[in-house]
Amino acid sequence: MFEALLSEAIDGQLSASRMQIFEAHGRVCTICGPLLADAVAGRQWLKSLEEVEPPAYLINSILAATTGISSARLHAAAPERRTGIAGRARQWWNSFVTPTAAFVRQPRFVMSFGMIFFSFSLALSAAGVKPSDVAKIDVRPSALKRTYYTTQGKVVKFYENIRFVYEIESRVREFKKSTTPAEPGPAKPNQNRKNNNDTSGQPDQKQERNYSREENQPVLAGLPDLPPDVTVTTNRRFV
Amino acid sequence: MDEAQVVGLLVRRCIAGDSAAWEEIVQRYHRRIYNICYRFAGTSDDAQDLTQEVFIKMYRTLNTFDVGKGAFMTWVTTVTRNLLVDHFRKTKHDRMTDSLDTVPSEHEDAQPLSSQIADPSRSADDHVQSRETREVVHQALQKLSPELREAVILRDLQDMDYKEIAGALKVPEGTVKSRINRGRAELARLLQRTYRQVM
Repeated sequence: MFEALLSEAIDGQLSASRMQIFEAHGRVCTICGPLLADAVAGRQWLKSLEEVEPPAYLINSILAATTGISSARLHAAAPERRTGIAGRARQWWNSFVTPTAAFVRQPRFVMSFGMIFFSFSLALSAAGVKPSDVAKIDVRPSALKRTYYTTQGKVVKFYENIRFVYEIESRVREFKKSTTPAEPGPAKPNQNRKNNNDTSGQPDQKQERNYSREENQPVLAGLPDLPPDVTVTTNRRFV
Repeated sequence: MDEAQVVGLLVRRCIAGDSAAWEEIVQRYHRRIYNICYRFAGTSDDAQDLTQEVFIKMYRTLNTFDVGKGAFMTWVTTVTRNLLVDHFRKTKHDRMTDSLDTVPSEHEDAQPLSSQIADPSRSADDHVQSRETREVVHQALQKLSPELREAVILRDLQDMDYKEIAGALKVPEGTVKSRINRGRAELARLLQRTYRQVM
């Protein structure tokens, strides 16, 4: 009951007699008293809030987002004209373009576009591209063709120059090689070892055995049964 | 011609394609809608976006407004309230990380709530009158539940009567009164608690 009357009491819509009863209950009741005090205080706090002023551009933003025009009053001044086929086509085209243009004109889109442009220009300046150079570029077909052939000629000339340099270098290298006397090569380690170990001047025993097996035996087989004149075979090879 | 008839005529002209009528409607109601959005959402940026969304929705659904069913302002408030509730649901996750020391909106001085309150040299009357206090109250308003917040905004800031609020919120008048009382009391308790913590 108390809460039901609370709004009317705060708004001052209760009669004097009912208000007295209401306040008397509020003073004695431990639940309703604080509720009344808090509600009154809360209302005072809320009433301290003032109306805030909307941004000046808000109306134009709303009109641009809804109708696609910033202000109808500006357009209302223009006289109504009879439109033909071309005019109707333009109206039909505007019905597509206008919402897009309204979207593009939004601050958020403009901000994003600005950031993209800034990043792009920063990247170009870091790469060494100047806007003045870009403006000087000749994009006529004849100019492009000439640029192509000029660039191709430069590449071929560079290649030929490099090849000539390499040829000269290789010739000089060959010439140096031919004019420099040949140095004796290092001694083979096998020969040194043989010389160190065998000082007799005779062939190796192993080599002797091989000759007796592989070359002397067929010769001996082909001899007549006469006793050999030479009983001691020599191991010396006759070259 | 009274206000309702003027607005009814404007709506009819607008539905017929009169862009000047639509501009007149925007001129008449944008301030009020912006204030509701600002007090509910808490920041100027959100309020601008929401105000724009409200008018876009109004523009698209203007032909559904029936003059015989209720006042145009009630219809506008209903559209606004529905969008605000949608916005509240969408941004629920973002608000969970908010604290008492969040930076206030650009309408007021950019100081944390606690630093604004912690000024023992001021009397209570000075606080009520000061700009900083308004910002404190504005921030405390954001701490209320959306049901209580919308009720007190419509009643105490927009001066709508209970019947209009009940029509806009689509709840009984008794519920509206209860929400307003609870909202006021909750706001007062919140501000008292905040002052006690800091001072």
